Amino acid sequence: MKDLFSKKGDHLAAYLFLAPFLMIYGMFMVYPIIKGMKISLSEWKFGLDPEFVGLKNYKTMLSDGYFWEALGNTLYFVLISTPVLIILGLLVALIVNSGLKGTVFLRAGFFLPFILSISVMASIWVFIFQPYTGLMNSILQKFGVQQEIFWLNEPNLAWMSILIATVWWTLGFNMVLFLAGLQEIPKEHYEAAQIDGAGPVRTFFSITLPSLKNVILLIVVLQTINSFKLFGQPYLMTEGGPGSSTRPLVQYIYEKGFVEQDMGVASSMSYVLFAITILVAIIQFKFFTGKQE
Amino acid sequence: MTARKRKKMNVSRKLLYIFSYLFIAAWLIPIVWMFITSITPRGESVTIISELFTPPFTWANYEYVLENAMIWRWTFNSFFVASITTVLTLLLTSLAAFALSRLRFVGRNLIFWLIIAGLMVPIEAMIVPLFQIMIELNIVNTYSALILPNLAMPLGVFLLKQFYDGVPNELMEAAKMDGAGLLKIYWKIFLPLSRSSMAALGIFTFIMSWNDFLWPFLAVNSESMFTLPVAIPTFQSSFSSELMIPMAVNTLASVPAIIVFILFQKHIIQGIAMTGIK
Repeated sequence: MKDLFSKKGDHLAAYLFLAPFLMIYGMFMVYPIIKGMKISLSEWKFGLDPEFVGLKNYKTMLSDGYFWEALGNTLYFVLISTPVLIILGLLVALIVNSGLKGTVFLRAGFFLPFILSISVMASIWVFIFQPYTGLMNSILQKFGVQQEIFWLNEPNLAWMSILIATVWWTLGFNMVLFLAGLQEIPKEHYEAAQIDGAGPVRTFFSITLPSLKNVILLIVVLQTINSFKLFGQPYLMTEGGPGSSTRPLVQYIYEKGFVEQDMGVASSMSYVLFAITILVAIIQFKFFTGKQE
Repeated sequence: MTARKRKKMNVSRKLLYIFSYLFIAAWLIPIVWMFITSITPRGESVTIISELFTPPFTWANYEYVLENAMIWRWTFNSFFVASITTVLTLLLTSLAAFALSRLRFVGRNLIFWLIIAGLMVPIEAMIVPLFQIMIELNIVNTYSALILPNLAMPLGVFLLKQFYDGVPNELMEAAKMDGAGLLKIYWKIFLPLSRSSMAALGIFTFIMSWNDFLWPFLAVNSESMFTLPVAIPTFQSSFSSELMIPMAVNTLASVPAIIVFILFQKHIIQGIAMTGIK
C-alpha cells in the first residue's frame, strides 16, 4: 500500500494515459453490453417505443424452433471443422517445417487464402461448387463421377461446401500457430530420441504431438468461438439454406434484429451467444490449465 | 548412418517432395482458376478443364469492371478504414498498456481485468445495441461508424502490456533521473523498444479490418461507403450464372492484398503467430 501511494503523480498521469482507450472501450464495449441487456428485456419493434416486458423475449426465444436449429448448426460446425483444422493444419505445418527446398513458397502458399477477403473467398467457392459450370463437378467428372452434384442445395453437401471453403480459407492461420509451436520444441529432445533409436513415427507421437498440446487446445478454443461467430461463409455461400439448414446463430440474430426489426428477441439471442462464448473460453481454459499441473 | 538407411531416407524425402508440391498445387488451384477465368472472354466455356489454360485471353472483363463498378472507391474505403483503425488502435492500446504496466494507481487491477474480460466478447453478440448506438450518435453510414467500434481492442492492450512488463526497470529509472516525463519515456523508450510487437499488432489489426464483413455490412448502406467485402457480393449478385465478371472483381479486390502479402509475408506470418499464440 505504501508503494501504491508513494508516487502521488502517477494516479492522474495513469488515468490520462488510459483515458482515450477507456472512453472508446466504455462507449463501444461496456455500454453496448448493458444496452443489449436492456433491449433484451424490452418489447421493441420498429417505429415503437421500447417497453419493459421482463423475460418475455427469452421465453419467446426458447420456444422458437429456429433458434435451437441455429444453435445446433453452430455446434455441428464446431464438430466437423475443428478436427479437420487440427489434422490438416498440423500436416501442413510439418511439411513446411521439414526443411524442403522452397519452404518460403510453401509457407506463403498455404497461408495465401487467409488474406483474401471473405467475400472473394465465398464467391470463388460458390462458383467452384456451381452445378454444370463449376470447377468441382468438372474435376469429379474427369474421375468418372457421372451425376451432376448440387453442392449448395442439399443440407449435408451445403455443410460440406462451407467446411471445405472455411478450411481452405483459415488453414494458413492454424498452420502458423502449429509452426510457432513446432519451433519451440527444443532440438535436444529430437537428438535424444534419435540416440534412443526412435523412428519418425515414435518421435512424432512421443515428442512432437505432446509438445503441441497447447497449440491444439488453442485451436479448439479459437475454432469453437469462431463457429459461434460464424456468419459470412453461410450467408454468402448458401444464405443459410437450403431452408434454414445451414443458418448459424449470428445470421438468425441479424434477420430477427435487422430484417424483422424485432430487437428484443434478437438481443436475447445475442445474450445467449455472449454467455456461451465466455463460458466456452472459461471452461476450456480451466480444463487446459488444470491438465498441465 | 548406413548406406541402405541413407537410401531409404532419400526415397522418403523424394516422396515428401512430390506429396508436398502436389498438395500446394491443389491448394492454389482456386486462386489460379479465379485469375484464369477473369481473363477468359465472356461467353466462352470454362467447364472443360484442358481448355482453361489455352487462349483466347482478354482484359475486357477488367475494363468492364472498372467502368461499371466503383472498385477504386471501395478499395480506397477499405484501405482508409483499415489504416485509420490500425494507427488509432496502436496509439490507444499502447498508451493504456504503458499505464497498466508501469504506473501505480488506484484501480489498476480492476481496470486490467475489465479490459481482459473484453477479450472474450465478440462484436457479433453486440450488433443490435451497437447499431442503436450508431443511430444515437447519428453516425450510421459514415467512416466513424466503420472505425470506432473496432478500436476498443483488448488484445492489443494485453499484448503490449506483456511486452512492456519485460522492459527492465532501470531504463525507466535512468530516464527519470535525466528528468524525462512519463509521456517522453513512453514515446522515446517504450514505443521504439516495442517496434516488433507493434508491427505484429498492426498487421493483425489491418488484416482484421480489411477483411471485416459483418459490421461494415450493417454499419453502412450506400454504395459509395461500402468497403470491398461488402461491395463485392452486392455487385456480383447480378451475375449469378456468369463467372468472368465476378472473377475479375475478385482478382482486382485481391491484388493489393496479395502484393502486400508477398512483400511482407515473413513479417505478416510472424505477426499472426505472435498475436495468435500470446
